[in-house]
Amino acid sequence: MMNRGDEYLNSNPRILKTRPNVAHMTKTSISRRQFVKLSAFTSTGLVLGFSLTGFPAAAMSPAGDCDFFQPNAFLRIDKSGLVTILVGRQEMGQGVNISLPMIVAEELEVDFQKIKTDIAPFGSLKEGAHDTGGSQSVTGGWDELRQAGATARTMLVSAAAKRWGVDENLCKAEKGIVVHTVSGNSLSYGDLACEAAALPVPPVVALKDGKDYKLIGKNQYKKSLKEVLTGKAKYGIDLKVPGMLYAVAERCPVLGGSLESLDDSETLAVPGVVKVVRYTGTGIPMNVRPGVAVIATDIWAAMKGRRLLKIKWNEGAQNTESTEQLFKTFAATAKKQPKQVVHTAGDTAKTKAPASRTLTATYSAPFLAHAQMEPINCIAEVKGDRCEFWGGLQLPDWAVSTIATECSIPKANIKVNLALMGGAFGRRLQFDFAIEAVKIAQQADKPVKVIWDRMDDIRFDNYRPANYHRLQAKWDTAGNLQSWEHHVLTTSIARMVEGPEAKDLSEMLGGAHKDFWYAVPNVKTSYTPVDFNLQRGWLRGVEPVVNVFAVECFIDEIAQKLKKDPLQYRLSLLEGREPFKAYWDKTVEPARLAGVLKLAAEKIGWTQKRAANRFVGIAGHMFFCDSYAAHAIEIEMTGPKKFKILKIVATIDCGLVVNPDGMKNQMEGGTVFGLGQALRNEITVENSRVVQDGYYTYELARYKDVPQIEVYAVPSEAKPGGAGEVGVATISPALCNALAAAGRRPHALPIKNEGFEWL
Amino acid sequence: MKQSYTLVVNGHSHTVEAEPDMPLLWVLRDFLQLTGTKFGCGVASCGACTVLVNGEATRSCIVQMQNTAGLRITTIEGLSPDGSHPVQKAWEEVSVPQCGYCQAGQMMTLAGLLHQHKKPTEEQISTAMDGVLCRCGTYQRIREAAMKAVEAMNK
Repeated sequence: MMNRGDEYLNSNPRILKTRPNVAHMTKTSISRRQFVKLSAFTSTGLVLGFSLTGFPAAAMSPAGDCDFFQPNAFLRIDKSGLVTILVGRQEMGQGVNISLPMIVAEELEVDFQKIKTDIAPFGSLKEGAHDTGGSQSVTGGWDELRQAGATARTMLVSAAAKRWGVDENLCKAEKGIVVHTVSGNSLSYGDLACEAAALPVPPVVALKDGKDYKLIGKNQYKKSLKEVLTGKAKYGIDLKVPGMLYAVAERCPVLGGSLESLDDSETLAVPGVVKVVRYTGTGIPMNVRPGVAVIATDIWAAMKGRRLLKIKWNEGAQNTESTEQLFKTFAATAKKQPKQVVHTAGDTAKTKAPASRTLTATYSAPFLAHAQMEPINCIAEVKGDRCEFWGGLQLPDWAVSTIATECSIPKANIKVNLALMGGAFGRRLQFDFAIEAVKIAQQADKPVKVIWDRMDDIRFDNYRPANYHRLQAKWDTAGNLQSWEHHVLTTSIARMVEGPEAKDLSEMLGGAHKDFWYAVPNVKTSYTPVDFNLQRGWLRGVEPVVNVFAVECFIDEIAQKLKKDPLQYRLSLLEGREPFKAYWDKTVEPARLAGVLKLAAEKIGWTQKRAANRFVGIAGHMFFCDSYAAHAIEIEMTGPKKFKILKIVATIDCGLVVNPDGMKNQMEGGTVFGLGQALRNEITVENSRVVQDGYYTYELARYKDVPQIEVYAVPSEAKPGGAGEVGVATISPALCNALAAAGRRPHALPIKNEGFEWL
Repeated sequence: MKQSYTLVVNGHSHTVEAEPDMPLLWVLRDFLQLTGTKFGCGVASCGACTVLVNGEATRSCIVQMQNTAGLRITTIEGLSPDGSHPVQKAWEEVSVPQCGYCQAGQMMTLAGLLHQHKKPTEEQISTAMDGVLCRCGTYQRIREAAMKAVEAMNK
């Protein structure tokens, strides 16, 4: 296990804390305070000496090489003139393979239609630079990628000026050509590649002024679009390695159990089955379950062989848990003293109000599975103490260092081939499947592709935690909110990944931490973890999605009780409030939150007269990727608990928008992702086993569920924030608030459990 | 026991040795290297593996090899040689995909519907597309692209 400091872990976003280089941090004894200070300037590793060139020091600049010019790891200009922009972050549908190259290309001054983009090979960047999560790719790469493009452009201009013997200030670069503005002479980047490569890399270069952007802010479409549409795009599951075998595995149904006995005689008789292997589980961070894998020459033989395994599991002591009991425990525990107080302002204990000026409410939401369309898979090959694997991983560096430890393979001997992902949503932040594939491949003399079927995927996921909230508000006789208390209870992710000593504070992000955005004089938020024997992990927008639901329903419920307009009530607690520090380097700007709420309200026609059976709801939030979003929804009631969604408006303020169509796609997708959680998604557990077994029982949002969705951005020149997760959290509370306006407020997701039906 | 099967895929005849109960999906993906057809669930619940069988949208994960005799199969790779089928063009125009994994199944489902009904109603489109899951949530764009494709097919 890596030595990772708790204080650090609990004071940083998940994407930072999960990085393997944390180990370096503790070893080099950088204090938490120093780190937090440093991390304010970067999310890609300046802290660790990761230079802006993105190169590990040893691979620095191939100066003098005359085949191509590559001043940093993010781009390469061949002598032929071909420009390739390399993408460090992993593509899983969120569009980084277009938005990140746009940033480089903007500064590089190339014709975007003519350039190529590719995955930056694992190892070509410093540790952590491939990490993909927390909506950090654009916001974290913004400075570094502009710098990468500008550095190359500057060097190409210098090379041209040098050749011509002219002042480089009289030369300019555009569309892959350097022009001498006096003589009109021009040279292409390809012509200049070798001379540029011979120049020293300038430490500081000038970046373009935002008003001169030609590419950023204009719709660009994935270069891989045609490949996707013709079936040629290769996802991890499509990769083939010579001599490869296939494997499927039967895993211990209860976390913490072990294999008691195995009879594989019938399996081994299946034509095509090569071998049956057992493998042990692991503890934190990934909690791999022990299993039995069937290795065969084709996948069907492996699947058939698996059905014939006769296995007896020792389920361990914790094999009787259920979500039914868990929610009872939540409800009972919520009224008790919390395990820890997270954020206080003023003193809620001193705020006195009679029952008539007090409101208490509870909200809850279930475990959720990721259910990305591409089932979990990984190819691994182990030869002696060397290992190579192929697959989609959101945190490949951490995967490598963990595999090195768990499988006793020297880290330097592990080669990773990153693959395009058919969705991830946080599932591939966890790399349990990669550890498992290596454990299986260690027992085979050929590469093995391990494929999880959909039942495996739903039954052995790392689930978004089940959660429960108890909130209490008090107001004075004039109706001014005086006190806000929020007790959050979840089956903690931090404890799953870090162990029982974890401090869990990341579970409070999204309005239950110091980021609570409403101006209330007395605030207390607190946290209690509840143990439960099931893997937990990060799911798209996880902590904010958990907490924003409660915060944005409760504020609405208070407004309703006070007979105030829910939008105006929110605005009265936001407008005029100064920006304030939340956690890490994050500042909450209440005015920006008010901005997205107002835009959403305007676009849904908040104040317009509507038919008696039509209602609107609204909700907004700030997400830790420096973005704000809101949803407004209009519904039509067709029965006491029956409704039709007429329209959804999603608004965002993520600062400067790099690729408007990509942002829109993410907001549409985020909305549908959140709508699925409001209406349908639910994982339940009986006898410490997940009940759902596939898409028939773990229901996703479907085509007919989705009404017209309109997306609007608040125009902004602020540094770009993230857009991948911010659009998920507010659709559930907006819908519940609309239903409350219609007379019945749901308090638990998915709302089908409270008898709601939709058309 | 493995048996020999001859099937016509994208206009080409192939002979493969496979178990009679092996799903067509895996033969396409692993024997014929046509990985554009995706594995999503194996139990016909998501539609990612949809191909055309004699023109009709069919989930290849539940078609056993022993039932493929004489069938003409079209996969996404064979929908058009170059992505120029009206459905593919509409998908490109609208920029539908996010991760793209389900999109072959989405497009093949619509192509199958269009084979059956040259001018399907909105209700027919909804009913057909409601059975194909997209976890990225591109449904709104699928709807827009589907309308464009229907229009293009009827020009």
